[in-house]
Formats: sequence, C-alpha cells, structure tokens
Amino acid sequence: MSDSPKPVLEVENLSVRFPSQRGEVAVVDGLSFQLRAGESLVIAGESGSGKSMACRTLLGITPDSSRVDADRLDWKGQGLLALDRAGWNALRGAEIAMIFQDPAAALNPLITVETLISDAIRQHRGGTRAEVRARTIEALSRAGFPEPEFRMKAFPGELSGGLRQRVAIALALSCEPSLIIADEATTNLDVSIQAQIVELLRFLQADLGLALIFVTHDLGLAREIGGDLMVMYAGQAVEYGRVPEVLEDPCHPYTRGLLRSAPTMASDRNTPLQPIPGTAPRPGEAAGGAPFRARCPVAMERLCERENPGWTRVSDTHRVACHRFAAEGRGGVQ
Amino acid sequence: MTPIFEAIGVNRTFTLRRGGKVSRIRAVQDVSLQLDRGEIVGLVGESGSGKTTLSRIMIGIERADSGEIRYQGRAVEPKKGFAALRREVQYVFQDPYNALCPTMRIGDALAEPLIIHRIAGRAERKQRVERMLSMVGLHADIARRLPRQLSGGQRQRVNLARALMLEPKVLICDEIVSGLDVSVQAQVLQLLLGLQQELDLSMLFISHDLRVIKYLSQRVYVMYRGQVVEQGATEKVFSAPSHSYTQKLLHAIPGREYPVPAGAQGRSENAGGTG
Repeated sequence: MSDSPKPVLEVENLSVRFPSQRGEVAVVDGLSFQLRAGESLVIAGESGSGKSMACRTLLGITPDSSRVDADRLDWKGQGLLALDRAGWNALRGAEIAMIFQDPAAALNPLITVETLISDAIRQHRGGTRAEVRARTIEALSRAGFPEPEFRMKAFPGELSGGLRQRVAIALALSCEPSLIIADEATTNLDVSIQAQIVELLRFLQADLGLALIFVTHDLGLAREIGGDLMVMYAGQAVEYGRVPEVLEDPCHPYTRGLLRSAPTMASDRNTPLQPIPGTAPRPGEAAGGAPFRARCPVAMERLCERENPGWTRVSDTHRVACHRFAAEGRGGVQ
Repeated sequence: MTPIFEAIGVNRTFTLRRGGKVSRIRAVQDVSLQLDRGEIVGLVGESGSGKTTLSRIMIGIERADSGEIRYQGRAVEPKKGFAALRREVQYVFQDPYNALCPTMRIGDALAEPLIIHRIAGRAERKQRVERMLSMVGLHADIARRLPRQLSGGQRQRVNLARALMLEPKVLICDEIVSGLDVSVQAQVLQLLLGLQQELDLSMLFISHDLRVIKYLSQRVYVMYRGQVVEQGATEKVFSAPSHSYTQKLLHAIPGREYPVPAGAQGRSENAGGTG
C-alpha cells in the first residue's frame, strides 16, 4: 500500500447534526474513511443508519437545518466544508455525481432524456450543439441504454424502471465525474436488471478509473461490488474492512445479526432466520455508549451503556468497534 | 386432495391505444396455478411478467378474458362469487405506506373489516383487535396510533393483522417484504411461517427475491412474459432449473456464493475459542 496514490476522498470524523427537542442529535456520528481513484466503498446499514446523509455531505445537499462538521472533508485535497454555492455547483455532477434510489423521482418527467443529459453536459462541459449531442449519445450508450440516437427522445415516463435507472446512470456519467455515489441505486429493481446494473457499474469503474461509493442494505450485493465495506448503525461505523473479510469473518454483533437475518440460497426453513430483536433507535437515542447496545445479544452491562467503543484492530485492513470483541475477541461475539 | 384455491387456464390481454396505434399486451397467457391447504406457494418473475395481474384476477379485482378460478373445488362466479370470497381470501399489498389510511387510527383500521362484514359487537371488536396485534407481535398501544407514527416494519405487520382479522383461509402476499430492511424482513418472514402453522393458512407469496421464496415456499411457479415457464418443488426447481429464464434468475442473485457466517447456526463447539 506504500506506493498507492493519494486518496481522492479523505473524510475524518464527519458528523451531521440536527436540532431537536432534546437538543442537537447526530444522524451521522464520527465517520472516517478514504477512497482512491478506481476503488470502491460499500456502505451497508438499515434505514435510518445515516448512510444517505453521509453521502449527501459529499454533494453539499444536506438539509438546511443540519450542521455538518468534520476534522477533514477533502476532495482531491480541497476542503469541501469551505465551499460556497458556486464552488459546489462546479463540483456537483462534474466531479462527484450521485445516482439516487428512486429513478422515477430523480428524473424530471417533463423533459426528454436527451434534454436532461445534454443540459448537464452544456452546464459543466460546454461545447457546440453537435459535440453536446455526441456526448449525450456516448453517455447513454455507455450506460447500456439501447439505441440512444432514437430512444433519447423519450420522456422518463415512457421507459421501464431498468431503463430509467440507466438514464440516471448516464446522467451521472455524462460529465465524466471522478466519484460516483450510488445510493440504493438497484434496490427496487428486479434481480436480473440489478445484476446488469451492478456489472455495468463495476465495468465503468475499472474502465474509467472511477471511485465508487455504493450504498446498500443487501450484503449479497456488497459481495458483488467488492472493495471496502463499512457497516453503519445509528449514524456510526461499527465495522470496516475489505468486503470478503467482513462477510466471512464478521466481528461486530450487528454485522453478524444482519448476516443471520438475511435469507440466502443456502437457507431454508430448517435453519430459521434469526431476526435482530427490537427496532432501530431513533436519532440521538443511541448516543453515549455503544450504539447497538439495546439490541445486542452480548452487550456488556456497564461498559456498553457508558462508553463508546473505539476501534479494535482485527487485521491491517479490518477493524471493529465493539467492547465485547475488544475484551474477548471472536469468542465473545459468537 | 382438492386444492383450496386454483386458477385454470387464465388469460388476460390488455389493449393500449396510444397515438392512434393499438397494441396488445398478453399479460397472462393460459396460466394454471394450484394452492393446496396449508401450503405456501411462491410466484416469481420480474416486473411485467404478469404475477400481480394473475393474483388480482384470482381475487376478482381484475377480470380474466377466459379461464376459471376455483375455490375449494367450485368455480367462482364473476362478481357475486368473488364478493363471497372476500372473507376467506385476503390480499396483503406491497406498499405498507400507501395501504393504510393516513388519518385512521390503527385500531379502527383493524376493526373495519369486522364492521363491514357485521361480525362482533363493539366490545368484542376491541378484544379481537388486541388479540390480533399481539399475534403479529405488536403492543396493544399501537391501536391508538396513526400509520405515520409507525415504522415500515410495524406498518407491514399492521397490514398483515388487518388481512388476518376475518380469519381467512388463503392469504395472497404481493411483494410484502421487498421494501423492508433485512432485519425487519426476517421478523416478518418468521411471523408468516408462525402464522401459517398456527392458523393453517394457505399462502400465495409473490416476490422477485428468490432468496425469500426459497426460504418460505414449498412449491414455486416461475412466470415469464405472462406464462408459467417452470413449476415444481422449490428445492428441485432452484437446484436443477430446466428453463433458461429460471437459470438466468438464479444466476442474477447477488452474492449467491457467499457463505453463511460462522456461528449463524449455533456453532457452539467453536465458541469461546479466542479471547
């Protein structure tokens, strides 16, 4: 790793806080990660774990009422927190692009696919009419949109869900960004289309040297994407490592719980799923101790209530934030 | 044994008119499907394959061009027959957010089927609502709340509870867990298995997630472009698929080869090894 290039994205101690009746609550709490060109990071966790909010800080689109803090939030060495509106506008779409969860809601229904994408290209890259058109067609065909010359005259409503998601990907690709954030981009798609989109993202990543952040709650998909995996719970990262490391040797009770509750093709009713008991905490509820303590089967009475566990090293690339693991190792979290 | 609920040779074609052009979509083509008593049958296929149209025909909210629906061996007459069926066959909808009236308290939403079908007086209704809430693992307090005060998983349980209020014999579940987080999904799946055993329910479970179907159902039907292309025991269909579409579906499952985590099946002999 010594001669690897400098990361394009460096995040240290990132938090997003919202005012509430109980004072300020953190929805994202102390995240740190790095990403190099051509690498991918999968962020896994359930609804409300802060995955999407963390991604939104990278585009400067957190809600107005929120407060974003970080010791460091750097894109290619430039501090994002200091950006003004014009600075964000130059970066968004051009350098960092996001594919949202719901392709139907993310596309303007009243303009054609061609207008949508060529507007973005004109805004960020400029060029003559013919150049913009050529780039539009190129972006669409790269995203696997069939016969772009003819079909780009269509409105989003005339396309299937899979095609709409390809348009959203083409839009994200149109200005040749260096980082793509896919926020549950394949969640509502059929498995066969999901597989196509994942393959496409992986291909583009290798082909264009893109950095990719892939947000999902499906750990099977995490395996398909590869790279690093960050498991989030209640706004905090609880486990971090290479995808196969974390999935084959899960060290946090929450990661283990997630794996046990997801059916795989190897499971049937003779090996019942083991749901994680209880429900996810509301923002702020888990503050103070270990975030997962209320639902954790191996929580340590006082320690987990009072103290937030710091990282414990599992390997050079794998770390976990768990008091029980720190005290007893793998045996403790079985 | 006569199947409790079956579709025989069902056809449905939709006609679309757009810009003077008429196109026909054969949504369901000569589909037959059987559901035996106490059985969970899976119905898989991608969006647009006709799964939902078929299930809607089976409960009479969509018309079939031809074919027959039979309940307990007897043909169901259009309209009248389906109205009579509405107590015995219940449908759980995909979206737990839109399926509940936003201004109606959960308790009232659950009592409504009893009022419509004139079952039970006020006091007994309240009792039944409480019993059903506890059966799906919710606290009785929930009855006083509004849908927006519940989480997605709680809402889906409420939807299930409402479908079960009339003590149906057949439950049709249309993609009811696809929008849920895995841990919540696991809770709902365990609940469905428990209810099936406890109430001797028969279930048609529609999903595009083959992992869920594999876990839940004994038999499976695979639909592709309006037709059933493969059917049989889930174990068999998934381990040795004969149709190319089924093979393609199976191949597309994300992370299909990833191992069950150590300790997921109570691997106690290795517990306490380190530390």
